[in-house]
Amino acid sequence: MKGPIFSGAIILVGVFVFLKFLLPLFTAPLPASLIYLYVALALSGIMIYGTMSAPSLEAFMGPIFRFLSGKGQTGPAQTARLAVLVLFPLLVGWQTYTKLAPSDLPPAENRTIHPAPPGEFVGLSNPYPKVPENIMMGKGLYAAYCSPCHGANFDGKGPAAPGFNPPPANFSDPGTIAQLQESYLFWRIKKGGVGLPVEGMPWKSAMPRWEVELSDEFIWKIIMGEYDGAGQSPRTWEEEE
Amino acid sequence: MLNGITLLRTIPAFLLLGLVTAANGFGSEPPPPEETGSVSLRLYQVDGSVPTDDPNSSVWSSIEGSEFKLAPQVHWPPRIQDVTVKSVKVKGVHNGQELAILVEYNDPTEDAADGAALEFMVGDKQAHFAHGQEMLQVEGGPVNIWYWKKEAGKALDMSAKGFDNLRPQEKQDVQAKGVWENGTWKVVFSRSLKTEDDQDVQIEPGEWRSVAFAFWDGAIVDGLVKEKGSQKAVSSWWYIRAEPSADNSIYVWVILGLGLAAAFELVIVRKLRKGQSA
Repeated sequence: MKGPIFSGAIILVGVFVFLKFLLPLFTAPLPASLIYLYVALALSGIMIYGTMSAPSLEAFMGPIFRFLSGKGQTGPAQTARLAVLVLFPLLVGWQTYTKLAPSDLPPAENRTIHPAPPGEFVGLSNPYPKVPENIMMGKGLYAAYCSPCHGANFDGKGPAAPGFNPPPANFSDPGTIAQLQESYLFWRIKKGGVGLPVEGMPWKSAMPRWEVELSDEFIWKIIMGEYDGAGQSPRTWEEEE
Repeated sequence: MLNGITLLRTIPAFLLLGLVTAANGFGSEPPPPEETGSVSLRLYQVDGSVPTDDPNSSVWSSIEGSEFKLAPQVHWPPRIQDVTVKSVKVKGVHNGQELAILVEYNDPTEDAADGAALEFMVGDKQAHFAHGQEMLQVEGGPVNIWYWKKEAGKALDMSAKGFDNLRPQEKQDVQAKGVWENGTWKVVFSRSLKTEDDQDVQIEPGEWRSVAFAFWDGAIVDGLVKEKGSQKAVSSWWYIRAEPSADNSIYVWVILGLGLAAAFELVIVRKLRKGQSA
C-alpha cells in the first residue's frame, strides 16, 4: 500500500511514538490527554493538506471511498469493509454507554496539604533561643501531646495514626516541615485542623486546636523539639534568596 | 465528483470527532483500593423489606461490605490513647423507602455501657467530623448522629453543631438493634431514606453523603467505665451512597447512538455508490 493515506498514517504513528516514547527520555512524560490532542492536531493538519486541491483530494480520499463503497471488492477487502461497517456503530454505542453509565466511584478530592497561612502568621520568628533546655522541653511536650499521632520517631506513625484521613504529617519526610517556616508550624499547631482554609478541607482534620490547651511558649518549644527530633531545619528567608 | 467533494469536506470533521471521543474514553483509572481501608459504603438496593431488626438476616451475607479503620479520639479533651474497637465492618441495604446499616466489630465483653454511633453531614455545608464543631475560616453545617447504647436497647436520633449542643431531636426517626455473640457486636440501624425533619440527613439514591463512625467499649475497668463520652473510637468522614434504581433510559440512548451511526454509514455508502456510477 502506498499513496497519501499511507504517508499520513506513518506521520500520525511517528508523532505518537515521538510524544509517547521518545520525548520522556529527555523530559517529563506528557499526560495522555495532551498526546491525543497533539495527534488530533496532526491528523487535522494531514486532512487539510490532503484536501487542498481536487487532485490531492482524489488521491487522498479516493481509496477510502472506493473501499467504503465496496464496488468490485472480493475476498479480504470485502471482509474488511464489512468489519468496518459493523464496528463503527458498535464503537459509537459503546462510547455512549461508557459516557452515561453510572459511576460507583466517590467524588474525587483534591486537598491542598500546605495551604497559605493567614497574614498574621507569616514571618514570625521563634522568640525562644535554640538552647538544649528549650529543645529538651519541646521534645517532652511533643512526647506528651503530639507523639500519639505523629509518632515517637516523628514519622507520622503514632499508635493513634492508622484511623485518620488525612494521615498525621510525617516530619522526617523532607516534603513536610523542612519545606516550611517556623511561623507556619506555629499557625498549624495553634489553630489546628479547624483553622485550615477551605482548600485544606478542615472538616476532615483531627489536628487539635492547641491554643485552647497550650501556651504560645509551649508551642514554640514544641516546634524546636520537632525540628531537632526529626533531623530537619526550618526553611528561612535567607535560604530562599 | 462534485457531489463527492461536498461530502468529502465533512469527513475530516467526523474522523476528528471520533478521535476526540475515543481519547475521552481513556480517562484516568480509579486509584487502587488502599490498605488503609475502604473509602465508601454502598447501600445495596433490595426487593421487599429490609432486615431492620435482624443483625443475622441472610440478606447481610448476600452483599459485600466495607471496612473502616478507627482511631482513639484525640481531637479534643478529654482524650483517650487506646481504644478497644480498631476497625468496623459495615454493610448497607435499602428498598427505595427504608434503609438498614449493619455495623460489626470486635468487643470481647458485653457491657451495659457499650455503644455505637453513625454520624452524617446534614445539608449542603461541610461539617467537621467532630460533632460539626466550629471551623475558623469555613462556615460549617450541622451533623445528624444515630446513637445506640446497649442498656437503652434503642437508637437515639440526635443533632449537633459544635460540642456543647449535642441534643436528642424532638422527632425520633431511627431504630437500632444490637446482638452480641462470641466477642462480636452486630448492630443494625434503620430509618426511612427520607424524613420530614430538616435536622436529619436525607438519603437520595444515587447521591453521595458523608458518614463517620464512633464506638464505646463500656467495660468496667478498676471500677470505671473504660470508654465514655469523648473517650471513644472514631473514624474520619467517608462516603455513603444508596444504590440508584437501574436506569434503563441509558439503553435507549445507546440504541439511538448505534442507529444514528448505522444510518450515517448507509447514507455515505449510498452517496458513494451513486457518485461512482454517475
